[in-house]
Amino acid sequence: MFRKMIPTILAIGLLLSACNFTPLAAPEPTSTEPVLPATETATIPTLTLTDGLDRIVTLSGPPQRIISLTPATTEILFAIGAVDQIVGRDAFSDHPAEALALPDVGGSYGEYSQEAIVALQPDLVIAGGINPPELVASLESLGLTVFFLANPTSIDDMYTALSTLATLTYNEGNDITLIESLQARVAAVDEKIATISDYPTVYYELDATDPTLPYTAGRAGPTNFVTPLIERAGGVNIGSGLESEWASISLEQLIVADPYIIILGDSIYGETPEKVAARTGWSVLSAVQSGRIYPFNDSLVTRPGPRLVDGLEALARLLHPELFE
Amino acid sequence: MRRRFLPYILIFIALVLSVLLSVAIGSVFIPPGDLWRVITGQSPRIITQAAFILTAIRLPHSVLTALTGAALGGSGAAYQAVFKNPLADPYLIGVASGAGLGAVAAMAISWPYTFWGLAAVPLAAFLGALLTVFTVYALARIGKTLPTTNLILAGVAISAFATALTSFLMLRSSGELHRAIAWLLGGSSQAGWGPIMILLPYLALGLGALLLFGHALNLLQFGDEQAQQLGLNVTRTRTLVLLIASLTTAAAVAFSGVIGFIGLIVPHIIRMWLGVDYRRLLPMSILGGAVVLLIADVLARVVLAPQELPVGIVTALAGAPFFLWILRKTKSQGYW
Repeated sequence: MFRKMIPTILAIGLLLSACNFTPLAAPEPTSTEPVLPATETATIPTLTLTDGLDRIVTLSGPPQRIISLTPATTEILFAIGAVDQIVGRDAFSDHPAEALALPDVGGSYGEYSQEAIVALQPDLVIAGGINPPELVASLESLGLTVFFLANPTSIDDMYTALSTLATLTYNEGNDITLIESLQARVAAVDEKIATISDYPTVYYELDATDPTLPYTAGRAGPTNFVTPLIERAGGVNIGSGLESEWASISLEQLIVADPYIIILGDSIYGETPEKVAARTGWSVLSAVQSGRIYPFNDSLVTRPGPRLVDGLEALARLLHPELFE
Repeated sequence: MRRRFLPYILIFIALVLSVLLSVAIGSVFIPPGDLWRVITGQSPRIITQAAFILTAIRLPHSVLTALTGAALGGSGAAYQAVFKNPLADPYLIGVASGAGLGAVAAMAISWPYTFWGLAAVPLAAFLGALLTVFTVYALARIGKTLPTTNLILAGVAISAFATALTSFLMLRSSGELHRAIAWLLGGSSQAGWGPIMILLPYLALGLGALLLFGHALNLLQFGDEQAQQLGLNVTRTRTLVLLIASLTTAAAVAFSGVIGFIGLIVPHIIRMWLGVDYRRLLPMSILGGAVVLLIADVLARVVLAPQELPVGIVTALAGAPFFLWILRKTKSQGYW
């Protein structure tokens, strides 16, 4: 008897869910071009943008109370001059230093304090690729305006993200000078790297809790900037052939690859060149023997914001110090 | 007569107090005066924001937490009765591991931002849970009987299999692991009344149906043979109770993630307090589950405010020592 009941119960559940779930209008496909209405009637131009979830976001004027939910969006907002418009940030947003003074709305354990977000009375919440869509839906159901910035997947994409947020925060123009200077810096690195023919091999360490099976940056992909940046900085990531974007590599493979340089992306967690040298079995690596182990600020290459260019420069300096003398 | 109702009165008071506590405490401080004014509906204009936070975020969150705790407590008592095993909890035959697999698999896909896209994770969790339970059930069945040993062993094996697949998916995914880990520990980003409206019919039907089995579960404690002689269809009772409890748990887990320990400890605490009569143990475990999870949830939200911990961490971290303390206190009585 219960066998017959189950489909009925399921059907009831689905029907109920169809009735009661937060209603969401299906997004209509539109262009990503901002639509500015004729200015002769409106003193404050309304702005309509399509976000990374294909949602249409409309602002009735410059947002003055923005909450940023990812470190990358926070860095972008500061870089495009939206400093005075930000009122809150997530727990991971630690750059620039001024960001730390903003109220923290959580996120370090995967959960955000939605009441803290509401209490800040934001007129715009900017979410990013690391935020789950349920969070966007939930904030939307609380009546907030939410813009979801899809994670940029390359440096060029990051420039587009700068322009998008500049448009969104009514800071158009600021992005143009910023992008120009970033492009010039990238071009300067490209120019220097073009002169070299010797690409040293690099092992980029993300985590070595288990020193026989450390975690490294694998193949280049939409979330992995480390591998493409190492290549652009004139190096070869020994992990680039791994199947995942973030992958473990065995000490055996590491010894076979024998990287020329070891970069410690996990130095913020207390890893030091001395500790690496002391690891069992690591002393055979030539980078360890010659002391080519360097601590590195991981957030320069893992956050898809303007500091990717800082990361590129820092990597190029580590790999080819002779070019930057 | 009065003694019979005393536990219900006490747990009802505890429930009201814990709901109040849960509504009063959050990462944003709302002065008790404002809280009172919102509850009593006075001068809403001055305190619109407090009222909004209370009615749109905190109250639905508290209700969802209470419902989840009730589902886990009630299902836990039913499972322990069916298996006659003090280690049984609502996840014994694969609800949690199946839901986890479903949820993590759904998270690996980037769904469109539509109604069904957003419903993908809870729906996949729900279906994953049901699928594992039915697999375990089919594997454990021998002819017309349903031996509990088979159920436990099939449950453990299928759970291990599903958990391994989940871990594999998580390691393979290149995206954020935070979301999956938080979900597996009982964290949920959903706010508002939507999830409650979906959950409520499942829980009302499921827990209501379980309450009807109090007497049958008492008979089951005498052993299969005796229960059969006393006129109970053992296999049918076992099957029905298991499926109802699993369905209820699956619905709760789909929205709240995997919250451990509640379904194990709450029925034990009630049993130590009131004895093994399931006609009383079932309703008391349902109410007790709500109370305990509400309190654990308050802790999860305040210990590191404004960071919110997944509640599953708190239930295990605070629940285990508390449970051991109770166990030591009542050791001599041999309550089981």
